[in-house]
Amino acid sequence: MATPIELHALSKTYRLGFLMNRQVRALDGLDMVIQPGQVYGLLGPNGAGKSTAIKIVMNLVQATSGTAQLFGKPPTNTEVRRLVGFVPENPAPYEYLTGREFVQLAADLGGVPVSEVHDRTMEVLESLGMGRAADLQIRRYSKGMIQRVALAQAVVHRPQLLILDEPTSGLDPVGRRLVRDFIFAERNRGTTVLFCTHIIPDVETLCDRVAVLVNGRRVREGKVAELLTASIPQVEVVVEGLSEERLRSFGRTLDEVQTLEARLVVRCRGSEAQLLVGQVLQADGRILSLQPVRFTLEDLFLQALSEAKHGTVGGEIL
Amino acid sequence: MIRSFSAIAFNGFREARRNRVTLVLAFFAGLLLLSSSLITDITIATFDRVLIDIGLGGMSFILVLLAIFLSTGLLSREIERRTIFMVVTKPVSRGLFLVARLAGNMLTLTALQLLMGGLLLLEFWVFKTAITWPIILGIGMVWFELLLLSSVGFLMSSFAGPMTAAFVTVSMFFIGHLSGDIYGLARRSKNVALQGLGKVVYYVLPNLERLNLRPQASYGIVTPASVWLASGVYALAYSAILVWLAILLFRRRDFR
Repeated sequence: MATPIELHALSKTYRLGFLMNRQVRALDGLDMVIQPGQVYGLLGPNGAGKSTAIKIVMNLVQATSGTAQLFGKPPTNTEVRRLVGFVPENPAPYEYLTGREFVQLAADLGGVPVSEVHDRTMEVLESLGMGRAADLQIRRYSKGMIQRVALAQAVVHRPQLLILDEPTSGLDPVGRRLVRDFIFAERNRGTTVLFCTHIIPDVETLCDRVAVLVNGRRVREGKVAELLTASIPQVEVVVEGLSEERLRSFGRTLDEVQTLEARLVVRCRGSEAQLLVGQVLQADGRILSLQPVRFTLEDLFLQALSEAKHGTVGGEIL
Repeated sequence: MIRSFSAIAFNGFREARRNRVTLVLAFFAGLLLLSSSLITDITIATFDRVLIDIGLGGMSFILVLLAIFLSTGLLSREIERRTIFMVVTKPVSRGLFLVARLAGNMLTLTALQLLMGGLLLLEFWVFKTAITWPIILGIGMVWFELLLLSSVGFLMSSFAGPMTAAFVTVSMFFIGHLSGDIYGLARRSKNVALQGLGKVVYYVLPNLERLNLRPQASYGIVTPASVWLASGVYALAYSAILVWLAILLFRRRDFR
């Protein structure tokens, strides 16, 4: 099976203004490979270039330079899009159609055999809990219902690759759970999934692999577990009975010290913590707790964001 | 490809059918056509001519308004509302999408024209006005004008906003009907540049008067087949060029 998505040195600069003389760099040399069966998360703040990357892959936007390939073919190839299902950010289906009509339109365009269109349409709508609302006009749908119809139209032709742009943004907890379950179900079916979001718990729960984008550049990439364990493990020590000055006078390398009433909450590396505990006890201080700090994807994300130099929102203005 | 084309085209027809503006305009078109018999009360001797004039003119006016409204807002509305995202990402080329949308538009206009034409002929029959070949031809040639104007609207809306597209298409309607006069006036001018401009307007911009056989319908003048066939081919060829240009522009457009 060909690689579902392969991006090489992908860049995009938007020209803005009446005279097109203002430039915003949305993507800057992005490299990315997504293997079959992976659930791949694109993480980044607003304006990091996530949606632009997805739009280039879906042929909605043309890259300024670099290459994008879907199953070994350029995104302009219409036939290769038969293998792809796509849900844009804030999906906007035709409001004058009913949910059923819209999914049927998607099935017709996706090349579902005519004899199967009706059954497949109802099958996907029912699997997403939209069976009863299938014959209501979309203009009467809530945001959650629109998201479900958008998901239904993306999978009605049984794609091998599913691309979701901010699939959970703006949804209530029930809607978010539904989207997560949907992605799990698709993964179990063997579908490759690429989704972009800035909701970190979703990525942590769903993804095999993740890339963090900041200012159009990839600043982290790898398996979620690897990225989290690769960071230097920290320990949190809660100390009582000593002042901060006294604690610092021990000469240990402390990453962070916070004073909470009469206690000091200290974060440092494990090797430093071992020595620190001994010194605190010798100085008649008390150790109230000692626990390893779990490095989350959110920490990784914030770390990557702070390391990136120009932390602008909405792309880099040239 | 044919299935995708017909799915998009039929969806466009369905959109217009469910669009209240289209329905309201169609209703007013019906009223206007029926009221033309009342207007003819003011005439004694030329009853038939006035009935044909007002009936055909009213029908053409309403259909032209609809053609401009539907064609100029369609693509920009799709882009603005982002409904296009879930269609052009399917195995459908942008060119096919654009042509199918135009076909859907023309399907709507054709259905309305058939309805209004039928109503008009019914009115003629009721008032015992002879239904002649020039009348049928006059009604039929309106379709080519609608196709040409819709193509202008589509070309404009493939890269500009709805207001600009509507402004240019309305301007093209007037210039298209006046291009012969503009050419005539320019020829009388002593200014060479003005003469050149008149020529450019006449030869480059669409000549919609070629498609206007309504005066012939009123006077019962039979237009030779070679003339109306050539006019029809002219409209088809001109529209094809406009649609080709629209596809070229639309293919390169970024949907942000």
